[in-house]
Amino acid sequence: MISDQAKKQIDAWVAKYPEDRKSSAVMEALKIVQAENDNSLSAESIQDVADYLGMPGIAAAEVATFYENYNHKPVGKHVIRFCHNISCMLNGSDDLISHLEDKLGVKTGEVTKDGLISVKKVECLGACVGAPMFQIGDQYYENLTAEKIDEIVDGLK
Amino acid sequence: MNEVCFKNLDKKDSWSLAVYEASGGYSVWRKILRGELTPEQIIDELKASGLRGRGGAGFPTGLKWSFMPRNSAGQKYVVCNSDEGEPGTCKDRDILRYNPHAVIEGMAIGGFVMNATTGYNYIRGEFIEPFNRFEGALKEAYAAGLLGENISDSGVDFNLYAHLGAGAYVCGEETALLESIEGKKGQPRFKPPFPANVGLYGKPTTINNTESFASVADILSKGGKWFADLGVENSGGCKLFSVSGHVKNPANFEVSMGTPFKDLLEMAGGMRDGAKLKAVIPGGSSTPVLTADVAMAMTMDYDGIEKAGSMLGAGSVIVMDESTCMVETLTRLAHFYYDESCGQCTPCREGTGWLYRALKRITDGNGKDGDIELLLNVQDKIMGNTICALGDAAAMPVESFLRNFREEFEYYIEHGKSMVKG
Amino acid sequence: MAKIEIEIDGKMVRAKPGEMLISVTDREGISVPRFCYHKKLSVAASCRMCLVDVEGAPKPQPACSTPISEGMKIHTQNEKSKSSQKAVMEFLLINHPLDCPICDQGGECELQDVAVEYGSDVSCFSEGKRIVADNDIGPLIQTDMTRCIHCTRCVRFGAEIAGIMEMGGTGRGDHLKIEPFLTEGVTSELSGNMIDVCPVGALTSKPFRYELRSWQMNSTSTIARHDLVGSNINAQTYKGNVKRVVSGDNDAVNETWISDRDRFSYEGLSHENRLLEPQIKIEGQWKEVGWHVALDYAVKGLTSNILNNHQSDQLGVMASKTSTVEEFYLLQKIAREIGSENIDYRLNIKNLDNTAKLESNIKLGGLEGVDHALIVGSNPRLEQPMINHRLRKASLNGTSVDVINSMKFDFNYQLNSENIIAPNQIASTLAGVLSSVLASVSIELPDYLQSIKVSKESASIAEKLNNSDNSVIVLGEHVVNAENSATIVNLIAQIAKHTNSTTLNLSTTANSLAAELTGFVPGSKGMNVNAMLESDLKAYILLDIYPEYDFHHADKAIDALNDKDNFVISLNGFKNDIVSEYSDVILPIAAFYETSGTHININGDMQSFAASVVAPGESKPAWKVFKVLADLLKLPGFNYVDSTQITEEVSHQAHNNHLHNENIDLSITSDNINIIWQQSPYSIDALLRHSGSLQQTKIGKLNFAYMNASVAKDLGVSADSKYLGVPVVITDAVADRCVFVNANKATQTGGES
Ligand SMILES: Cc1cc2nc3c(=O)[nH]c(=O)nc-3n(C[C@H](O)[C@H](O)[C@H](O)COP(=O)(O)O)c2cc1C
Ligand code: SF4
Ligand code: FES
Ligand code: FES
Repeated sequence: MISDQAKKQIDAWVAKYPEDRKSSAVMEALKIVQAENDNSLSAESIQDVADYLGMPGIAAAEVATFYENYNHKPVGKHVIRFCHNISCMLNGSDDLISHLEDKLGVKTGEVTKDGLISVKKVECLGACVGAPMFQIGDQYYENLTAEKIDEIVDGLK
Repeated sequence: MNEVCFKNLDKKDSWSLAVYEASGGYSVWRKILRGELTPEQIIDELKASGLRGRGGAGFPTGLKWSFMPRNSAGQKYVVCNSDEGEPGTCKDRDILRYNPHAVIEGMAIGGFVMNATTGYNYIRGEFIEPFNRFEGALKEAYAAGLLGENISDSGVDFNLYAHLGAGAYVCGEETALLESIEGKKGQPRFKPPFPANVGLYGKPTTINNTESFASVADILSKGGKWFADLGVENSGGCKLFSVSGHVKNPANFEVSMGTPFKDLLEMAGGMRDGAKLKAVIPGGSSTPVLTADVAMAMTMDYDGIEKAGSMLGAGSVIVMDESTCMVETLTRLAHFYYDESCGQCTPCREGTGWLYRALKRITDGNGKDGDIELLLNVQDKIMGNTICALGDAAAMPVESFLRNFREEFEYYIEHGKSMVKG
Repeated sequence: MAKIEIEIDGKMVRAKPGEMLISVTDREGISVPRFCYHKKLSVAASCRMCLVDVEGAPKPQPACSTPISEGMKIHTQNEKSKSSQKAVMEFLLINHPLDCPICDQGGECELQDVAVEYGSDVSCFSEGKRIVADNDIGPLIQTDMTRCIHCTRCVRFGAEIAGIMEMGGTGRGDHLKIEPFLTEGVTSELSGNMIDVCPVGALTSKPFRYELRSWQMNSTSTIARHDLVGSNINAQTYKGNVKRVVSGDNDAVNETWISDRDRFSYEGLSHENRLLEPQIKIEGQWKEVGWHVALDYAVKGLTSNILNNHQSDQLGVMASKTSTVEEFYLLQKIAREIGSENIDYRLNIKNLDNTAKLESNIKLGGLEGVDHALIVGSNPRLEQPMINHRLRKASLNGTSVDVINSMKFDFNYQLNSENIIAPNQIASTLAGVLSSVLASVSIELPDYLQSIKVSKESASIAEKLNNSDNSVIVLGEHVVNAENSATIVNLIAQIAKHTNSTTLNLSTTANSLAAELTGFVPGSKGMNVNAMLESDLKAYILLDIYPEYDFHHADKAIDALNDKDNFVISLNGFKNDIVSEYSDVILPIAAFYETSGTHININGDMQSFAASVVAPGESKPAWKVFKVLADLLKLPGFNYVDSTQITEEVSHQAHNNHLHNENIDLSITSDNINIIWQQSPYSIDALLRHSGSLQQTKIGKLNFAYMNASVAKDLGVSADSKYLGVPVVITDAVADRCVFVNANKATQTGGES
């Protein structure tokens, strides 16, 4: 089930593309539906999106599994997407990721017991001059240090 | 420094229409709307400027625009590539954040030149802040009557939309990007046909990098020669370099083509903590790594970097000091390509996995005799055999790391640990 | 277009500019290895196996996606080509299980074939192979996805040919996995072709699993008889049994695809229900006997019941639609020689005075060239899959398609309009079309159209036909029992005539065109099937008939055949209790694949085939049985040595036209609830009904009576009840005042029996 609110958001994306190209909006539609479902996508919601946009379910599933921004397992309310690619690595991301894991008591890929936070290692996020960095939600956090991480994480509710 | 894409960087609200217009923004576009510039004039000026594509391949922009069948019937598209995913690269993000109108004006001009009435800017999915800035700028431009249908009664139409990615480096490859806009997996298309003939939704399409588009308006307002003279022979203009890694003040610098690397390093504050330079990747993770000596003697332009044995790529300068373990660094890059291969073509799908697993085995302490030959052999088998350049991009670092730092690999294989870190 | 010259391996070759290199090398017999390329699918260029050296190009180029141009010089065998091909081969093999000894594709695997040539040194990979978990994708296709080489042929087959994207590639990089989405698996009526297109053993035939190695089998080409196409197929046999069926190539007929129905029906051959011995009924007791005893008994029965009494017109003969040309011909010849013209195959028609003639005057290939199609009363996807495939191809090329049906079906192409109306409204809709057509060419309206009001729908259907240069009207099976079916057919003929449309008659299927051609219809003095059943005939010869499935008036038929005083000779391939009850002699006959014969398809092609295997037990090809029977009856003209002599004779035979009603009568406008009783696609003949795997598919399980809520209320049924023995589905997809039944039995008798 896609909520009316979500449908409205999807429709706004659909409007950007030629009339017979509704499926161009599938990537955003999946994100919108994911956001409504605790940040992860079930097979059913993928099918719902496909039906809404008039495309085969498997075509939407291809998209949902190809791109990295979709989750297919439960994740935390906040996903800390920690870059571990070259510039961040050169600037100590590996140690900081360990620090974060220790602090939260979870490994990357896991969710904290309270369901609040999960950590994911990701590839370069295009902020290399601000390395090391991570992303939470829409927000980038750059030039991270252990102290800065503690402060940010402690502020998550 | 900072003369084109970054010229308003210091100004407050540099991204606003007011600031952009105050510095001459949209004057070229208005001239077009008044009918005072022809597509031919624009293409000539671009050719004279020596502007080469800033997305990595360095193809002359004027020439590319001239390939579009502008007089053919039917819809045509102009597409901006703001997918910025090449490790080490983070310039387009800042263009979108601080100078979005330059991208809009550049795309609109491109649309006019190529008779493409619709444009899409493909922005990588994580760039929410840049996306919002761009959307804000679009709103301003529409409100100011600079976009839309029959703009200011000129008979010129141009509609522009932003499309968001969802996390896939390969979508930076221009045909994968088109597939992605079509709502599909980002699998590169084979060529021919080229996008100029069969592009977005099967229609003629031209794709340029954000920085390429953002440079166009200034080139046309100040003249192709002005731009060309900023740079050197074969590398017109200035270029954004993202300097990251072991430098004191990592940042984006817009400098003239031909600037010596050591000057650029200086601008970035030099090596951090007084460490010694060991290696430089000059154009983004896909370009061959260089040793310190070679890098220090190099100038930052297409030919200069090529002479040094690498490529200018996207201008992403990754600086490494002596503490860097080249085996572990390459392993990390190999993981990236393994992770990001789209999977459709055999050499890349299988080869990137093979490279990564073999390197991982080495850094896990389980290297064996013959591994170096194996790596060289596998990268050679990928090279040139794939649909898109991601395969080559995965192969090139392997070859250059092994060529320049072979002893570190031999040591790791023999001792099961890093020569640098011990 | 003018041809150009290119050089391949030093040889000058002429070809069309822009042609893909691989089609040139294929034509010239130059072998270029490939996996993703398939001549009937779009180009993917992803396996990279076909890389060759093109002079001037820095990188090797894929032959499958390199358009040729004048003066190109290509090397397919030099060091550069070979080393690229070898590299790709090595990459393909590192994650392949190399389990050829237990793989069903062994011996016919494209990967194995190429590997033998290239993959000499695959040993340096030691990083652990990828293992892919398998999902159950349905009863027909077995998956072993660890063997998949990601060529995406199956994905493209689904999206491009089957017209429903069921398989896809999920994940990316080396996590790319070819699979269907969700649990339904693969359900297309053409799904089995994925087995044929898969170059390796990732998709194999499930019923065939672990049966045999391909090289142990013999392959014989033959013709499928379940529909009007007569697809060319290859039966692969081992020790006298059909083990697997794969498609054959014939561009004019089935191209290179076959329906699942044609591919998997062979399973029924080995069903335990096969009839293996001749038997005769003596004082109510069945007794298995030798052929000569059984045939003597049959001759005696005929003699005492009709011949001795000079009541030869008391003989009735009937045959199933799936019979061969030879069988139809010999059986009607026996009847006529004896002196009876009570001959019929149209067992499923309710009112045989209400039939009309509509010719098919467009060929399968021609269908692809039409610019507009009007389909009336058909679900072509399930009823005539390969004809639907042609219509789909046309549609993808821009052909518009209008439909007049009584239920919405799942078309796999776009429809211009879908008019869902009850069968008794179809005639008036078509009358409106005709009226509108005639008006537009200023022809005066005949009386019967004077009072017709042209609806918006009719007008727009007419306009489409008027504006097309090359349109076709397709008539399906759903209206054969409509109250005014002859009127419908005659209206279509009129509309076609005035719009210069061709017509395609799909209202009867299997080999019924052969029945018409051989005169297997009542002569001027003879009775049709419904009349026979009312006339207490004294003797019958019935070829492969199963009354509860075949007759429209099944109850009446069973009653009539059970009459104590008649003598019934049944020839059947399968045991059947009802047949046993009314017959006096039952003769076991060869089924599909077990007899030589001839099928006539919608193109008019007479496609003859040899037997692929020998019939089991004592069963014999029916045409041979008829020949011996005729000899025993001392009938002249049955001295055939082989079946080709029969087809020769048939082709010299004058057509034997039975009566057709040419009236157009629009006065019948009852308000009855109309029932369309359509046998479900995998239940239309005895062999199919015994094919286990097909029966387990989604299509095989179709057994529903669809109706809308108001009709259900009128009929006093609900969603969990049955209507005429068939489970009810309440849906708005069906026209009002109408029930659409897809059942696995014939009318009225279904379910409860
Ligand atoms: C794997 C791969 C990734 C790429 N990523 C980007 C990218 O993030 N941004 C970009 O502008 N070009 C990227 N490119 C280059 C584009 O394909 C294309 O050449 C470019 O967008 C053309 O614009 P330009 O001529 O202005 O440089 C990539 C190419 C490859 C093969
Ligand atoms: S080289 Fe890699 S990323 Fe590019 S098409 Fe082939 S598999 Fe996809
Ligand atoms: S490497 Fe981390 S943001 Fe680019
Ligand atoms: S056959 Fe040409 S790339 Fe696969």
